[in-house]
Amino acid sequence: MPMNSRKKGGVPLAAVPMYIWTLLLVAIPLIYIVGLSFLTKAQTWGVDLNFTLDSYRKLFTPSYLKVFGQSLYVAVITTIAALAIGYPFAYFTSRLPKRARSLVLMLIIVPFWTNSLVRIYGWMILLRSQGVINGLLISLGVIDSPLKLLYNFGAVMVGMVYALIPFMILSIYNSCEKIDWSLVEAARDLGATRMRAFWSVTVPLTMPGIMAGCVLVFIPSVGLFFISDLLGGAKTMLLGNLIKNELLVARNWPMGAALSVAMLLMTLGIITLYKRMAGDKELEGLL
Amino acid sequence: MKWTKKLLALLLTGAMAATALTGCSSDKPNESQGTEEVLNIFTWADYFPQDILDEFTAETGIKINYNTFESNEEMLMKLQTVQGGDYDIILASDYIIDIAVKEGLVAKLDKEQIPNFGNINPEFQGKFYDVNNEYTVPYAAGIPMIVYNPTMIDFEVTGYEDLWREELADSIVVMDDARNIIGITLKTMDKSFNETDEQVLSQAKEKLMGLKKNIRAFDYSTPYNLMISGETSVGYMFTSQAVLATNENPDLKVCFPKEGMGFGIDSVFVPSAAPNSENAHKFINFILDGERSAHISEQTMYINCNSAATPYIQEEALILPEGALDSAEFIQDVGEATAIYNDIWTEFKMS
Repeated sequence: MPMNSRKKGGVPLAAVPMYIWTLLLVAIPLIYIVGLSFLTKAQTWGVDLNFTLDSYRKLFTPSYLKVFGQSLYVAVITTIAALAIGYPFAYFTSRLPKRARSLVLMLIIVPFWTNSLVRIYGWMILLRSQGVINGLLISLGVIDSPLKLLYNFGAVMVGMVYALIPFMILSIYNSCEKIDWSLVEAARDLGATRMRAFWSVTVPLTMPGIMAGCVLVFIPSVGLFFISDLLGGAKTMLLGNLIKNELLVARNWPMGAALSVAMLLMTLGIITLYKRMAGDKELEGLL
Repeated sequence: MKWTKKLLALLLTGAMAATALTGCSSDKPNESQGTEEVLNIFTWADYFPQDILDEFTAETGIKINYNTFESNEEMLMKLQTVQGGDYDIILASDYIIDIAVKEGLVAKLDKEQIPNFGNINPEFQGKFYDVNNEYTVPYAAGIPMIVYNPTMIDFEVTGYEDLWREELADSIVVMDDARNIIGITLKTMDKSFNETDEQVLSQAKEKLMGLKKNIRAFDYSTPYNLMISGETSVGYMFTSQAVLATNENPDLKVCFPKEGMGFGIDSVFVPSAAPNSENAHKFINFILDGERSAHISEQTMYINCNSAATPYIQEEALILPEGALDSAEFIQDVGEATAIYNDIWTEFKMS
């Protein structure tokens, strides 16, 4: 009963600053963006107060759809690659002795204390034609002339997976940690092969971690455009680039706002889908 | 384990912060406190050399607040929010000044307070954004040019058309800028950088698509790195970047494209409601001094706009060759056609 009355009793006083914060920094800008997306671009600067759906209509022209498609494609490939590398990593880490485990997790986290932009520049130094990798291969006599490692799709993928894989590893590790290994032993005792036991016991038990990891990798990878700019030579346009372009270069604020709203809806859609699939379980307490 | 969750949350916050890369510099200029004289400058980072600013403060006792923006558009957005106030000196590009003047955000200069006004090279005056030289003082001029590496290619680059050559597959770097790149495409077709005709633009689009296979990377701010490291053999970049590249790698050669050049002038102006207008005029007069102006150009590596500075300049590339401006063309606001340019660019990038 006391619990109930507290719920009904409205907002606890301590939460008020939080509400003000959210209102000022989340709600109002969001309303502004949504409102802006229905206005018309003024000829030289700013917007005119004419209601129109043109910006949204334009979203469905082939070149814009292609940008959405490309962004999704990059995000999907990144997520799959992160899962493929991150799962075995997290799995084996969780089976290490306790001290080694903390050390490995520490080693994953420490690089992420530096700015991600700096780390991406580090990749550029490794990959460029007079860079570390090419230099090494040439001095070892493996190749005669430098390989073109930078400014292609592969380089973008390396950067994306590198930037986001800790989310995958930590989510899955979290699930692996909770596994009751006696269940796997039971499966083995009942005659399941190692593979069989893995697929029918371990994987389902770690499913929440896999799902959480995928969402945590997928959502930021739609927006991480600077990696594609730096490692891919800006040769494709992702949603982030497009929004920046509309706002700053084309000075078409309504279009930029409409794109942002579309991106927001897309992300919300993915989270909703995730919640459906994972039952009502929260995203490992994060969302 | 609880702490892995916390770590995850921490990482996530980091990633979010990283995506908010641009435009977060804090730049609320300080109000002048009491009797202390101040000057609020608003421009790109490092565009006024620090030693010049220090010298100004030492000489006049006026304290300088240096506020930065990332792009011209950001500058105008802020200037509009403060209704032409808050800042005393703004240094920005020609086309945006054009808009700022039309929006009534620029004050007329009081030339009585600027004895050095006569030092300005008239070649850089009377341009579209300030036909009667009432509002602006040109600070630096930039001509995007072609830089190439003769040790990597076996022909001489003479103009934009050469960028389309088959031998250059996957080996050029160009600035990540719609107006400039579509502009040079138009130039190879003998049209203007500021073409607005839809038909012509769609022809330019066809031609532009053929350039994609030659492009190794788009890079707006550091294209010289790719030229210096030999990642690319030909590059199209701004003056300062070309100077940097050739200084670093003397093998590199510069080409002033024969089809005619694009051109831009960054100018200083005083906003319409500048709180310390008098100090602003003092500052303008200060930087127009010949020797100082030469020093500035050698630091920023942009072309100098000051006749009085010429005798002091060592680096030849910073002095405009006689008559070079005759064929040069400003990249101006194209109004409604901006949308067409942007669509072409999106399609080009996605091709």
